[in-house]
Amino acid sequence: MVEAVQVQLKKGVLELCVLALLSRGDAYGYEIASRLAKGIGMGEGTIYPLMRRMQADGLVETYLVESPSGPSRKYYRLTPSGAASFAAQKTEWSQFSAAVNEILGGAS
Amino acid sequence: MTRLQFMNRLRNGLIGLPQKTIDEIAADYDGHFNEGIAAGRSEIEVADALGDPERHAREIRAEAGLKRWETERNASAAAGAIFAVLGLGALDLIFLLPILMAIVGTLFAFYCVAIALFGVGAFVMVAGPFWVFGAPIAALILTGLGLMAAGVFTGAATTLVTIAFINVMVWYGRLHMRLLKPALEPQGAI
Repeated sequence: MVEAVQVQLKKGVLELCVLALLSRGDAYGYEIASRLAKGIGMGEGTIYPLMRRMQADGLVETYLVESPSGPSRKYYRLTPSGAASFAAQKTEWSQFSAAVNEILGGAS
Repeated sequence: MTRLQFMNRLRNGLIGLPQKTIDEIAADYDGHFNEGIAAGRSEIEVADALGDPERHAREIRAEAGLKRWETERNASAAAGAIFAVLGLGALDLIFLLPILMAIVGTLFAFYCVAIALFGVGAFVMVAGPFWVFGAPIAALILTGLGLMAAGVFTGAATTLVTIAFINVMVWYGRLHMRLLKPALEPQGAI
């Protein structure tokens, strides 16, 4: 049960985390995947279906950059609508987590 | 799992999508292997960290099917969306099948009624004046036209209900794909 709740929470905030990461600078797939896997413990492969969906939804766009080692890397960058979505979701998240923290703090 | 096994299972899972899309997706994962190996990890390590290739493929395929239904409302896109939802295993079939069968059966019955009304209307309008003696021809033609209009109306209304029904299924599938399903099947394939 605890595990299931954890997975649901992580899945739900994954998109928000990707938006946050990209708001600090463009990144390529491996970078995003390893940062998120380290930070919140997600399977690294989850990132690629998510990036495709976010690209289809117009939140991110891609461009290729020559890499010193091997083939060129696909970088992701926030679109204006991605930046707007990040701002909105961030506000929503802070309000939500503040409310939950207050309740958790009051219960202990 | 080796790199080759992972890529083969991924590609197999994506069969049915356009070849260009499959190549793009495979290139994403291939690039991930290259980066991981350049960073000093082994192929097996990278493959394990990536998770279940079939699950990623299912998610990508389902999303493609649902997207298509959102942009083009036609029978083949509807079938695609329904199979995408079923393919996710999102619907608890044993529980939902009787309800689904009932809804599909009812919709089918309404379509039959629509076609029958239209057919009878056409018959009355065209053949009525030759068969029924004594009745005014104009009345028969108008009755026929009325029945045909009722048939068209029933068909159109049923189509709207069918679209709404498929939308509900798509919504349900999305909900499962994004939240419930991964929670039910954690096993490292998150």
